[in-house]
Amino acid sequence: MPMTIGVIPFGLVTGLAGLKAGLNVLEITLMSALVFAGASQLVALQLMHSGAAIPLVLLAGLVVNLRYVMYSSAIARHLEPLRGWLKPLAAFLMVDQNFALAMERHRELGSRCTPWYFLGGGVPQYIAWVGSTCIGALLGARVPERWGLEFAIPLSFMVLLIPALRDRPSLAAALVGGLVATALVGLPYRLGLFIGALAGIAAGVWLENRQRGRAWEDAPREMKEGP
Amino acid sequence: MTSLDIWLNILGLALIAFAVRYYPMTLLERFRLPPLVRQGLRYVPAATLAGLVFPALLTHNSRWAGLAHPELWAGLLAALVAWRFKNALLTIGVGLLALWLLRSVGL
Repeated sequence: MPMTIGVIPFGLVTGLAGLKAGLNVLEITLMSALVFAGASQLVALQLMHSGAAIPLVLLAGLVVNLRYVMYSSAIARHLEPLRGWLKPLAAFLMVDQNFALAMERHRELGSRCTPWYFLGGGVPQYIAWVGSTCIGALLGARVPERWGLEFAIPLSFMVLLIPALRDRPSLAAALVGGLVATALVGLPYRLGLFIGALAGIAAGVWLENRQRGRAWEDAPREMKEGP
Repeated sequence: MTSLDIWLNILGLALIAFAVRYYPMTLLERFRLPPLVRQGLRYVPAATLAGLVFPALLTHNSRWAGLAHPELWAGLLAALVAWRFKNALLTIGVGLLALWLLRSVGL
């Protein structure tokens, strides 16, 4: 629930960005209803605002959404019990928040409850997202720019980031990923974000394996495979 | 940007957003990922989310912003609140309020 409230400022900002890019309220609302991927919508709207060609807008959307390839493959095992149309629905409703929560709690929830926990987390997110982008677009230019409301976007990512820092390797992944993305922020299509993520992941894996040291080398294969 | 362009963008983004979330999930039921890839996946959220947060605190118009950047201090305060209270609304509220206060004193 707190995560659902956290998405609202993010949606309001996306609604504003849509207006700036020249979309009307209906287009902004339907965009949120069909795409349901906030960061890629925001990046795409920024590019549409600067008059970028369609292939460039879509490429940027793809790059920002690549993290979902990793989310989707990581959560595949936990969503296996879902059948029929529930599986595409779960994929459609996948966002950072319910992914992070399901990965965090799947041990205590067990394999039967995790898929429903995931879907149950996605539905309020969806309603809040579509509703808040619509309201953001309706409020439109009434919110003065000096309020700094767009700062709510990195803040809502920060709310997700802090619990992901569980140990030293994940802290290293965040520091390296964040600093590389910052250093490369001038690159087009937010490529810096993608390169930074790869560098951060490499740092996390490297530090984890180094911490395990020789114990890791000697461990039997089953232990490395994990649960 | 014409209305047709807007709709092509929206529909293209919708297809991309669905494909990246659906296909890895269904294809990987039949294949197991190598251990190194699965190990790497655990660090995706930390690395990606940091890549979305850090530039907002450290840069301004794609340039290094230095220490006299209100977003940096407001963001650090918000990180402290997020860590201590684990509350989304409180974190965003404190962060926005801190940014507003820092800007109003002219930082």
